[in-house]
Amino acid sequence: MYLLNSFSMSQIGFKKREIETDVLCIGGGIAGLMAAIRASECGSKVLVVEKADTLYSGSGGLGNDHFMCYIPEVHGSDIEPMIDEFQRGQQGGLRDRSFIMTWLEYSYEMVKLWDSWGIPMKYKGQYEFAGHALPGHLLMNLHYAGANQKKILTEQALKRKVKILNRVMCFDLLYDMGKVCGAIGINTREDETLIIRSKSVVLGTGSVMRLYPASTPAWMFNTRLSPTCVGDGRAMAYRAGAELVSIEIPLIRCGPKYFARAGKATWAGVLRDPSGRPVGPFVTKPDNKYGDPVVDIYQDMFVDYKKSGRGPVYMDCDGLSDEELDYMLHWLRNEGNVSLLRYLEEEGIDIRKNPIEFWTYEHELFPRGGIYYNERAETSIDGLYAAGDEFFGGISGAAVFGWIAGENASAYAKKHDVNESNGPEIQSKENESLLLELRNRRVGPDWKEANIALQQIMCDYAGLVRSETLLEAGLRALLKVKEKAKKRMMARNSHELMRCLEVLNMIEIGELVFTTARERKETRGKHIRVDYPFTNPLLEKLLVVTKTEKGPMLEWRIARK
Amino acid sequence: MPPVIDKEKCICCGQCVEACQCDVFFGSKKDEIPNAIYPDECWHCNACVEACPAEGAIKLRIPLPLMILYKERK
Repeated sequence: MYLLNSFSMSQIGFKKREIETDVLCIGGGIAGLMAAIRASECGSKVLVVEKADTLYSGSGGLGNDHFMCYIPEVHGSDIEPMIDEFQRGQQGGLRDRSFIMTWLEYSYEMVKLWDSWGIPMKYKGQYEFAGHALPGHLLMNLHYAGANQKKILTEQALKRKVKILNRVMCFDLLYDMGKVCGAIGINTREDETLIIRSKSVVLGTGSVMRLYPASTPAWMFNTRLSPTCVGDGRAMAYRAGAELVSIEIPLIRCGPKYFARAGKATWAGVLRDPSGRPVGPFVTKPDNKYGDPVVDIYQDMFVDYKKSGRGPVYMDCDGLSDEELDYMLHWLRNEGNVSLLRYLEEEGIDIRKNPIEFWTYEHELFPRGGIYYNERAETSIDGLYAAGDEFFGGISGAAVFGWIAGENASAYAKKHDVNESNGPEIQSKENESLLLELRNRRVGPDWKEANIALQQIMCDYAGLVRSETLLEAGLRALLKVKEKAKKRMMARNSHELMRCLEVLNMIEIGELVFTTARERKETRGKHIRVDYPFTNPLLEKLLVVTKTEKGPMLEWRIARK
Repeated sequence: MPPVIDKEKCICCGQCVEACQCDVFFGSKKDEIPNAIYPDECWHCNACVEACPAEGAIKLRIPLPLMILYKERK
């Protein structure tokens, strides 16, 4: 048995491994595996590095059930109405038209490819669109059975001779002369460092959970998306000089209380108040095609109902036929909600007889934006590509831009050599001293203390109430946590070392949230500046942040339409 | 604490250890019954249960703070 209180009295050192490859994919989720598959098909030597195991890792580890796509035979030959619908949705204004056009144009190709690999993209022989839409509006999300997607994508990658290194966390990019040329990683199972030199890098590390408290603050890993996705990619990209965009605007989601899980759009019931009245105007009986879209439109609904004495609000599936219930459960299972469904069964909770309380995961904010990448999946620095939830892409964004990133990272690799200079060596030495300090301290806060300290500052000072004075005080507090974490944090083993590095990455992103939130002197979405209470049309722009020697540099940029 | 292993049924294959994305079984040794030393890092995703080839050898116990709230219809 492994004992947590056992310390070696001798100085801990690290074994070292050096690897060379053409294309390095950091993160073995949907984006990373799709990039690896494509880069390998294009003739490159490819390495995927994954913190966990690609068979089950990431937010899609146990499955997904919605894939945004445009299928001409379903939607008609004119793509424009779908681009308009996309612009009206959650990402409206963040992406320009040519980016969305590329996304939609590639989406059907990805659907056909996945189907040919054995990920069922059809339901009873047909393309089935449902969820994430208003009644009467275009249905953009294809229902697909993604329960085995990670196993299938891993198999496809291995078939194309992609090398997969599981249980390795890359935590810093190697860069030299403005180009990215690899990454530094640790083995999460033993004390070993890896220096990976590559000609190009694709980042696909997912969203940012654990920066803010979970919806159950005392239970940190009860997150809607995978708690292992903590923004490593964003932090690495920023340090290497890449642009981050729109990270000051937070997003918030809702779902079952208290078991945090994505998949709201698959629930078919009506959201009702305690007396049984529907809270929204869209549906009055369960609807498997649309669900109840009220919360997509009225995000404050749960909180407003609570504050006005009309809560709580329930997801009520009364009225679903046996067949309709089976349909809903089929998709919830494919969305990866198996443990939640099993829990309901074991507790004797009957989905049709027992309205289930839903709520906003009100503490669990996450940045809407991330690493800026264009329609070629290029970031703002040479040799670095990004895809998927590095900038709010969802499944389809991960598949499409993973694919495009792989293709372009491969083309880039063919034109460049592996960097042989000693710049990366100096960088890796600096990192090694950090690792040694973290592993050799005997007393100090562990990663969890630092993570909680970070979360409470994010929640209290950059949460749903923001102002200049709060943000200023919060940033000051955060910088203290940063200093203490760097100087005092300790890791008892390589697993805890991984968690420490995650926290340092999250602190980096937290700092940038404060910096950018101070700059956006208006209220926009859930970026609620109580000292600037309205949305200023003049600030309908992207806020870009880049690292300089003097600190973060901010730039307002007009989004291309 | 989640996940729970039935020592009688476990065949010590280590599949759950490899499947866990949060590595709650960190430090478990090959050919021994896995030990979840970081149970509060469990996401309750069910990967360990799905990966287990021995029927009923592992199950998730959902912690009390994650309880689903519901009501009886009047």
